[in-house]
Amino acid sequence: MFLATKEIWHNKMRYGLIIVTIFLTAYLIFFLTGLAVGLGRNNRTAIDQWPAQQIVLSNYANQSLVASTITPQQVQAAGLTQKGTPMGQTSVVVKAQGKSAKIDGTLFGIRWNSFIAPKLTAGRLPRQTNEVVVDDGLLAAEISRGDKITLNGSKTLYKIVGVTHDNRFYTVPVIFTNLSTFRQQRYGSDNVNNISAIVLRHKTTLKGDDLVQVSKAALINHIPGYTAQVATFGLMIGAMILIIFLTIGIFMYILTIQKISLYGIMRAQGIGNRTIVGALFSQILLVSLLGVVLAVLALGLTHAVMPAKVPFYSNWWLTLILGALNVLIALLGGAISLPKILKVDPLAAIGGD
Amino acid sequence: MALIELHQVTKTYGQGHKAVQALKPTNFKLMPSEFLAITGPSGSGKTTLLTIIGHLQQASSGSIQVNGQDTSTYSTKQLTKLRFNEFGFILQASNLIPFLTVSDQFKLVDRLTTKGKLSQTPTALLDLLGIGDLKDKFPNQLSGGERQRVAIARALYNDPDIILADEPTASLDTSRALQTVGILAQVAHDLHRGVIMITHDTKLLGDTDGVYDMRDGQLTQIK
Ligand SMILES: Nc1ncnc2c1ncn2[C@@H]1O[C@H](COP(=O)(O)OP(=O)(O)O)[C@@H](O)[C@H]1O
Ligand SMILES: [Mg+2]
Repeated sequence: MFLATKEIWHNKMRYGLIIVTIFLTAYLIFFLTGLAVGLGRNNRTAIDQWPAQQIVLSNYANQSLVASTITPQQVQAAGLTQKGTPMGQTSVVVKAQGKSAKIDGTLFGIRWNSFIAPKLTAGRLPRQTNEVVVDDGLLAAEISRGDKITLNGSKTLYKIVGVTHDNRFYTVPVIFTNLSTFRQQRYGSDNVNNISAIVLRHKTTLKGDDLVQVSKAALINHIPGYTAQVATFGLMIGAMILIIFLTIGIFMYILTIQKISLYGIMRAQGIGNRTIVGALFSQILLVSLLGVVLAVLALGLTHAVMPAKVPFYSNWWLTLILGALNVLIALLGGAISLPKILKVDPLAAIGGD
Repeated sequence: MALIELHQVTKTYGQGHKAVQALKPTNFKLMPSEFLAITGPSGSGKTTLLTIIGHLQQASSGSIQVNGQDTSTYSTKQLTKLRFNEFGFILQASNLIPFLTVSDQFKLVDRLTTKGKLSQTPTALLDLLGIGDLKDKFPNQLSGGERQRVAIARALYNDPDIILADEPTASLDTSRALQTVGILAQVAHDLHRGVIMITHDTKLLGDTDGVYDMRDGQLTQIK
């Protein structure tokens, strides 16, 4: 540490710039990863919230919730009348009474006493048929709790009595209603007793092959566009992280190699490898840690100022892993030059003739 | 017992038709309290001999003993320790660490030494060399002569048995040069260290106990 800090202190400008570089690249990684993860999550948080393992869909829906319709006859034939809980999904356009803004949403028709009922952050669960619960992503300047809304231009007004958080599907906020409202919206009449899916806590056996059960993961992967989106962003972010890490590694390598003659002097003076290598690594550790910590602070700031509309998401685990990886790669960059340092000829210090 | 003893030591740089024998078979001895000088033209092999004595590089053949110990089987780690404990180097190029102030150069030795309390304080050494006021300067803030004297103080600080100086007076004027040689003589005679000094300048040989001349890798004692 003595050598490490003395050197940093003596070359403030140089090490300051290195810290800034690491800070900027780490922040770039945090920021873009946060956006990609945020967007990916917005497809699925409503499904993630289900304490379920399996979802029954119609066979022809090809594992896609939005394409699935199940009739009461099919439920009966498959032997599911007593199992799981039914739900219906359809897309809706939401408009507050007397306001002009239209907002895209997705409607989940459920039974309020079932295990897939949303957890509320405000308000209460509906008691009457025209009461609904909405994801807080729907709440904007024109819509708030207690307001009445129309769904797809309906005559009926629905009152928002409860608010939930992290309940999005297909990137838009979910409006929870009862099953009859769902049927009204999807089929034009609540006499049609169809549903979209049956959500099961555990795997079961189905009779016949009209219906299939899929895992939560499969259901999510078949949200239209989700897999392609995640793969694209994953590749982009992955490539970016790889290139940045490579750059940082090379950066550290060059930095170390530049000091070869210094190591020659130390070797000539009889300063041991442990001292030299210790100074090198504690220096890289210090510099990269400082850069990453600054990036984490900037990330916190970003969180605070980012408008709710932007799908930005980060959590401690992801940040910790990416940050730790950043530091590790910097150390690795130093480690690449290790064989060279260990072999430095003390004669390199002699110079002259 | 001799501090340093060389038996038939040679050094050849390069291989095949490019090989240059920089040092012909050489026998050499340094006793405690002895101040020896090596003179000779540029390129004759003086630095080669000194760096082999200082274990900064290996001889091609022959054997070296330090305090009666044959060092030919030493590992890199043992050699590093040997250099730290037994040798003080005053080299042609500055061998100070660029980002440490003069007093930090000594602090580094304090942190690494296993010898416990050293016989001289940095202050005493710097005062002895007339540079007591330079403690807080970095090497690049010193003149060539000042740097050379800091290097001498640094070389003496860890109480090495052997001081090796490669043209320590090259960047000094005559009176400073004489003064530096006087200090090296004092180190040998009063502190009972062995000192080997390379120099071009025959005016500086007054205080020495022996003088060797190097010609084309051949060492001969002339005093
Ligand atoms: N590392 C080296 N590789 C190859 N040749 C060298 C090396 N160091 C010195 N020599 C050669 O060895 C000879 C002696 O050099 P040196 O010991 O530096 O002489 P001096 O110090 O007396 O000027 C010279 O011919 C020089 O070119
Ligand atoms: Mg020389």
